[in-house]
Amino acid sequence: MSRLRGYIFARPFMGERAPQHVQNIVLRDYCQRRGHELLLAATEYAMEDSTLILATVLDELTEIDGIVMYSLFQLPRDAAGRRHVVDRVLAAGKSLHFAVEGMRITDAEEAAAVERCWLVRTAMEPAAPAAPSAP
Amino acid sequence: MSFAAPSDALGAEYLERGYVVRDVADPAAHEWIVTTTARVAAEALGVPAPSGLGASVEFMDGVHGRVAPAALNDFRVAVIHGINALAELRPAYFAVARPYLEAIVGNELAMQQRVNLSIQMPGDTSSLLAVHADTWSGDSPYEVVAWLPLVHCYGTKTMYLLPPRHAAAFDAQFARLAGASSETAFEAMRDQVEWLEVRSGQVIVFDQSLPHGNRVNDESETRWSMNCRFKGVFTPYGDKKLGEFFEPITLRPASRRGMGYRLPSVQ
Repeated sequence: MSRLRGYIFARPFMGERAPQHVQNIVLRDYCQRRGHELLLAATEYAMEDSTLILATVLDELTEIDGIVMYSLFQLPRDAAGRRHVVDRVLAAGKSLHFAVEGMRITDAEEAAAVERCWLVRTAMEPAAPAAPSAP
Repeated sequence: MSFAAPSDALGAEYLERGYVVRDVADPAAHEWIVTTTARVAAEALGVPAPSGLGASVEFMDGVHGRVAPAALNDFRVAVIHGINALAELRPAYFAVARPYLEAIVGNELAMQQRVNLSIQMPGDTSSLLAVHADTWSGDSPYEVVAWLPLVHCYGTKTMYLLPPRHAAAFDAQFARLAGASSETAFEAMRDQVEWLEVRSGQVIVFDQSLPHGNRVNDESETRWSMNCRFKGVFTPYGDKKLGEFFEPITLRPASRRGMGYRLPSVQ
């Protein structure tokens, strides 16, 4: 049985919001269905773009088998940051799971699939509203 | 003309220290909470319930003699579920802190839907709360915590809080300290935190946006404390929303009228 550290958000992400207790329910359901042990979830700070808690979870990788996030869209918004997280996990021989999407990363191929989701989602994001033109 | 009120001194103390400690406002409600919690705990353990306030406090102080560390979380969950299932709990909890909440927060309040319980046995490392502010996890800065000790809390058996006069300096180093280990963050404030000594029969109201936490309980007794969040019902909400986390408890007549008011139709 793999021991996965939960990871949830205390702020909206990509225009979405899920109450923390709902995020925990989804994590628990994901782990139960797949036979993983869920370790108490770490809650990322509310501050915009904070990944400080994720960094502390990554530092814990030697003691656990992987991380289960509520959503893949809780990965860092910048591509380099996402790559760093995935590289850390794979280099440690561990796994990264995304409960609400039912996806996981255990190798480079699965990492590419997750990144494609990110790129498509980003392309679908509404563009910032244009500044009003002068009358 | 002066708008000063008798409660202004309490508010000034709260702003200065980040918390206030006062005798419970409703001793009967306090006694009900303590004795009922002890009874629910005794039922969970399958032992006779203690009789009366003093025996209940003594029973809880010594519960580490009956609960193995590995069984603590299941025991705690059983007691939390047991007491929160009682409809009397939240009104009683509000009653012990009501005048202080009304002075610090206001008289139209939203209350957390569940009252939390902490049980921290001597030497236990599984119940630690590292340095944190609730706002960092999405709570509104308009919220306060009413913290009710069920036993005498002192030394490492209680919680600590970083007073406002030191919090700004900590915030300035937040990115460095909050991303480091919790031990590093605590060491940075060790000499500035206040340990909130409080006995059963008193209540603390504190500012949850200030860094706070607990350490390993090195005393010889088990800590039992409850906590519950309150905020002005019409103040901004954070990640803890109305309905899913908070419930309005003291809406006043003018607000009830205002919420239901509609301008006459002109059609």
